Order: sequence, then C-alpha cells, then structure tokens
Amino acid sequence: MFAGTLVYAIVNSFTLILLAIGFNLTFGISGVANFAYGALYVLSAYLSWMMMNLLGLPFFPSVILSILATTLFGALMYRLVLLRVRGQALSEVIATFGIGLSILELFRYLGFVGFEYTLPVFFDHSFIIAGTYIDMQRISIVVLGFLLVVLLWLFTHHTSTGLAFRGIAQDERTALTFGIDSDWIATLSVSLGAGLAAIAATIIIPLGSISPSEGYDVLIKALAVCIIGGLGSTGGVIAAGFFIGFAERFTDTYFGSHWTMIVSLIAILIVLVIKPSGLFGQQKELEERI
Amino acid sequence: MLDVKNLIVFFENAIALNDFSFQVNDGEFVGVVGPNSAGKTTLMNTLSGLIIDMQIKEKRKGGERITVYGSIVYRGRDITQTKPSERVRRGIVLSRERHPIFPESSVLENLKIAGFLRRKQEIREGIDFAFQLFPALVALKKKKAGFLSGGEQQMLAIGMALIVKPELLLLDEPLLGLSPMMQNTLMDAIVSLNKQRGITVVLCEQFARPVFPVIDRGYILENGMLTLMGTGKELMQNPEIKAAYFGI
Repeated sequence: MFAGTLVYAIVNSFTLILLAIGFNLTFGISGVANFAYGALYVLSAYLSWMMMNLLGLPFFPSVILSILATTLFGALMYRLVLLRVRGQALSEVIATFGIGLSILELFRYLGFVGFEYTLPVFFDHSFIIAGTYIDMQRISIVVLGFLLVVLLWLFTHHTSTGLAFRGIAQDERTALTFGIDSDWIATLSVSLGAGLAAIAATIIIPLGSISPSEGYDVLIKALAVCIIGGLGSTGGVIAAGFFIGFAERFTDTYFGSHWTMIVSLIAILIVLVIKPSGLFGQQKELEERI
Repeated sequence: MLDVKNLIVFFENAIALNDFSFQVNDGEFVGVVGPNSAGKTTLMNTLSGLIIDMQIKEKRKGGERITVYGSIVYRGRDITQTKPSERVRRGIVLSRERHPIFPESSVLENLKIAGFLRRKQEIREGIDFAFQLFPALVALKKKKAGFLSGGEQQMLAIGMALIVKPELLLLDEPLLGLSPMMQNTLMDAIVSLNKQRGITVVLCEQFARPVFPVIDRGYILENGMLTLMGTGKELMQNPEIKAAYFGI
C-alpha cells in the first residue's frame, strides 16, 4: 500500500506543479495575479474538444491549435483589459476574475456539462510499478511536468527574453534602462502563463472531464500551491507541489479520502501563520506588514 | 550631440526642473553638480526617457501628474517624446542612482540581462571589456549581485551600462555612498571610457571634489535651475563654489 501511495503521490505532485507553474510565472514576472487562470485552463480544453468533435480535426493539431489560441487570448487579455488597470492590484484581480467568470459561466449557460466532454489519453496503455497499476497518462504527467520545469529553467536562465523576464521581475525601472520594454514583457508573461495553463489542461484533462467547475478548482489549487511555495518563486512551486501532493495522497490512504480536501487548506493556514510570504517567498514587505 | 532647450518638468504642481538648457558635444565629459533635490535625477530620467514611462504608468494608475515641456534633440532628432527603449537603441544609456543592479541574479547574469538589445557575440565582448575595466568583478562573477559591496555593485552597474554600447552615457550619482578610494577607482574608469573609448559622458554628482578636476565642462544645478557653468578649472577657481563645495 505504501509503494502505491508513493507512486500516486508523485503523480499528484506533478499535477499540482503543472497546474500552478503558469499562474506563478505570470505573477512572478509582471505581478499580475491572473484569476482567469482556471478559466483559461478550461477554455483550452473546450477548444480542443470542439475542434476534435465539431470540426473533426485529429488530436494533435487540435491541442496545438488550442494551446496557441489560449496563449493569444492571454496576450489580448493583457493588451485590451489589463493594460488599462496596470499597477492597481485590486483592479487587476477583479478584471481577471471577471473575465474568468464570464468564460466559465458562458460554457455552463451553453450547456457544456457532462461526461462526454473530455479529451482522449495520449497512449492507451498501463504498467505495474511497485505493485501498483499506473496508466500511461499519469506517467506522461510526471515526464511532461518534469520536462516543462526544466525547459522553463533553461528559458529563464539562457535566453535573452527569459533573462529579461527575470530582470523585469527584480527591478522594472532598471530593466527599462537596458531597453527592456516592461509592457511587452508583461504581455508575454501573461500569454505564456495562459499557454502553460493550456498545456496543463491537455495533459491532465484526459483523466477526468471538462466542466466549468473545474476552472474554479484549478484556480484554487494553483493559488494554494503558490501561496505555500511563495508567490513568484519557481522553487517554491516545486517544493509546495511535492508537499501538498504527498500530504494529500498519504492522508487519503491512511486517514480516508474525505480528509484530503482540507489538507491544502490547513497547509495554507499554517504557512500564513508561520511564514506569510511562503516557503521560498521573498515578499519581505508582506511579512513585515503582518 | 545633445541639445536640451527650456526643459521644464512638473510633478503635480512641484517644479523639478525649471527652464533647463544645455548642450553636450561629441566626446565631451560633462558634469552636473548640485545638492539633494536639485533636480539631478529628474534631469537624468528626462534625458533617458524614463520619465515618459513614469508618466504613462502614473496616468494609468491615476497617480501623480507629470508634465514635461521643452525639447531634447539628439543627433539632430527630436527625442522629447521617444520611449526609453528606443533611446537605448539609439545609444543613450542611463546608469541609475543607488547601484542599479538585479540583486537576485549573479554578476554574470546581470551583465547578460543588460545585453538584452545586443547579440550574443556583442554581449561576450562587452563582458570581456567590463572585466578588463574592473578586474575585481572577475572573481565575483558567480556571486549574487545583491551580496556585493557598494563599490562592487557600482562597478557592476557601470559594466552593465557598457554592455549596451552607449554613445552617450548618463551616470546618476555613481559615487554615492562610496569611500574616497573607491570614488577614485571609479572616476579613473569613467575618465578612461571617455578619453580612450570616446564615449560621451554626462555625470550628475553631489560631490564636486572628484568631479571638477576631470570634466571638460560643468554645470551647477540648484532648485531645478542652472546657476553656474564653465570648464572644470573655471568652476574650481570660482570663489562661490570654493565656499559652497570645497569649504575653503
């Protein structure tokens, strides 16, 4: 039982990391808390579904098109809406949450609810690892989650745009003196965050179904991971992803599944009491203020 | 090279620069000296275009109203309304006051971030040049910039500005908070950039002592207004300046 729990805990951890990494990237670079994040996740899944089931496109072109479309949507969201309220944190949250609500509730209104709304798995195959059945999709989550983290690290450490991202995140005005345009980088960061949400949806949705309520769940999970890890810190997202991922699975196995829901909430409470900026957070002002 | 005419800058109703005009010729080393709140940083931000960005962002937030009158002409082109990134592309590079570095990144990464507009090869050459100018940085290249001393951070800041290949280098109080010895090291480096590399330099400082002996021309800025100008030697001989800045 222990080995099985361990395997599923790893899968769960990577799921959480995949869910949170885009939200975290956007916040870390441009300071925009994108509350439409969960809606973008669901939007891309519905787009893939529509392209496959209504237009009859094959799987891979559909998901790639929908990931690109969601990325573009993120950029437009920044250019058309967020740019007008930049620098006012509360307005940014309200604006993004409003956009998220309208997307999710529009799908609910149009009746996109039910088990038929799902995406196919990449490979229909399963293994036995450490005496536990595990399917290819869950293995894909681990592999692709790991790959994505490595790629993001390479991007932010070895490409000029990635380095500019980190420059803007640390000191916007100094970055400006080197010709780094803060509005352009912020647009990129929101659209890249949206693209990461879409990638996460493509990998994770096949295990369940697409529904508007999934959007809210994803937002809450991403927020939980980011708050515990420290908003804007990639290391924090990984640590918090593993922390919650393991805590949830072990609670499920040894205490019962109805306790898993409160694990992340309790973790948030403990972190907020002991270290309000999160495990790896560097928002000292926040800590000092509290 | 640079022709500034009747520059007036308001922050809300407070005037920061009042009818400021000056010229900078190709290859010159110009010093602007003045006390705190004289308008030095505002001048630098206006020349580098940062003020345009501040203006836009304050307006979006509904914050402070920043108003700029007057004209800035650089190499025959009016750049008064040009964005900072475009001015950097044209060779106007500002090194901001208080050690403008990225504290969470290593020294090497700082230099790479500064090279955003440059090609890989140019960045590599720039880094070599920065290390040649400030050999002390070589041993620190893997270290987080935030852990460097004030003097090391300032060397890094100037090194970062050099990666951009400036034609007109604007330095905002590069000597702030440094020991006299470190001030000399930095001034020597800045002079060599000007004399050997032919980079035109405009430097703002509170300290007159290390600045006047090396500049071609100097301006005294007080309450946003130019009160005196002359060559470095003339300014050093001026009795009022002697009393105010040298305490003689």
